[in-house]
Amino acid sequence: MLKTRIIPILTFNGWSLVKTKRFSTPRMLGNPVQAARVYNSRGVDELIFLDIFASKQKRKINLKIVKDVIDQCFMPVGIGGGISTISDIKDMLKIGADKVVLKTAALLNPDFIKESSDFFGSQCISVSVDAVKNNNGIYTVYNEWGVNITMNDFIQKVQNLGAGEIILNSVENDGVMEGFDRVMYNEAQKVTNIPIVCVGGGGELFHYDELFAETNCEAVGSASIFHFTQYTPFDIKDTLKRLGKPVRI
Amino acid sequence: MTAAIIEYGMGNVASVQKALNVLGIDSQITGNTNDIKAAKYIILPGVGSFAQGMENLRNSSLDRIIREEVLLKQKPFLGICLGMQLIATTGTEPHESHGLNLIEGKVIKIQDPNTRVPHLGWNSITSSANLFFDNFNQKDFYFIHSYHFQVSNYNKIGATVDYGNKYVAAIQYENILATQFHPEKSQENGLNLLDNFFKLYA
Repeated sequence: MLKTRIIPILTFNGWSLVKTKRFSTPRMLGNPVQAARVYNSRGVDELIFLDIFASKQKRKINLKIVKDVIDQCFMPVGIGGGISTISDIKDMLKIGADKVVLKTAALLNPDFIKESSDFFGSQCISVSVDAVKNNNGIYTVYNEWGVNITMNDFIQKVQNLGAGEIILNSVENDGVMEGFDRVMYNEAQKVTNIPIVCVGGGGELFHYDELFAETNCEAVGSASIFHFTQYTPFDIKDTLKRLGKPVRI
Repeated sequence: MTAAIIEYGMGNVASVQKALNVLGIDSQITGNTNDIKAAKYIILPGVGSFAQGMENLRNSSLDRIIREEVLLKQKPFLGICLGMQLIATTGTEPHESHGLNLIEGKVIKIQDPNTRVPHLGWNSITSSANLFFDNFNQKDFYFIHSYHFQVSNYNKIGATVDYGNKYVAAIQYENILATQFHPEKSQENGLNLLDNFFKLYA
């Protein structure tokens, strides 16, 4: 039986791990290589490493640091940050990445999703979607590039272009640690058949209870709970196991 | 005596070598004919589309060398993920094309309205007695694939995985072992499996 995935997400600013709150006020958290080593020793299901400022600062992710992070990991790793060309993806795969996470390129040049998934296979291409409710109560894609599209339309679009996974971030709940946006997740799930990683809001174990009881969530990504509390991915799995969800312990 | 990890532009060679380094297995990432002929083991990793993978192998004549070494010289072979699929007779991703045809069968898209595709994450494999994979019966491995290998001869199936339907998770036939999952990404279980492969053909 396929197990529910609990995925730590490491966000990086180019030289240090950071954690944002509602996508701003990044707080510095130290060395990504050390963090990756700890997660590997804890046997986590997967790891996602994102340079969240690469696109905005018009630079490429630091390959040396990415390689050092991946070298710690004997589980799958997804890498994101400024990836916009086939050669960028080749660079990532060459040093051992399993997936790449596209965000800015997926928004500004959606055809790149098709180009890259045709070349590397859908399983290699995750698309990160930042969703926020607009004034009319409709979930839309949050971005600084002026692209105006609803969350549902964008998810269907990236699926049709060949994305293999959606990493769905709630902007409102990012770093707030007060629970997940289950409504958003349920809405997104209805419009797509590819796996979704639900991200944003986990701060207590009961938040994961709520998420998995009220949705058919198959994967959750978290950062703050691991940085700012004593809880480990194991504690979350233990919670899910009690709910009767399949987990790998 | 080294293991040749075949480099044909389809990724994940570094992860495989990293795992072999941990096990103390000497290996070489190579697309060179002479290296492959000199190697004791052949490992064909890879992620990506079937047609692209075969085209890359053909462009450097690696398809011919692999068939020669595996079928005629009976060299121990391990295919991983796309490397398992490419040993099929036919692939369909994104269009129909010929595979290496080491194991008869066809690689087709997972189509099941009740499950998400790709099949992505940790899943347990099922294997029956006397097979290499029996040691790993009900153990979890990391899968990530949208296509699956329909093996013509059931006797060549090494393990299956349940994802709504039963799919081939591994192949075992003579000197050929192959896994749809990624042992190099499956932590302890994966390292043990790789170790067993080298011990089997030590």
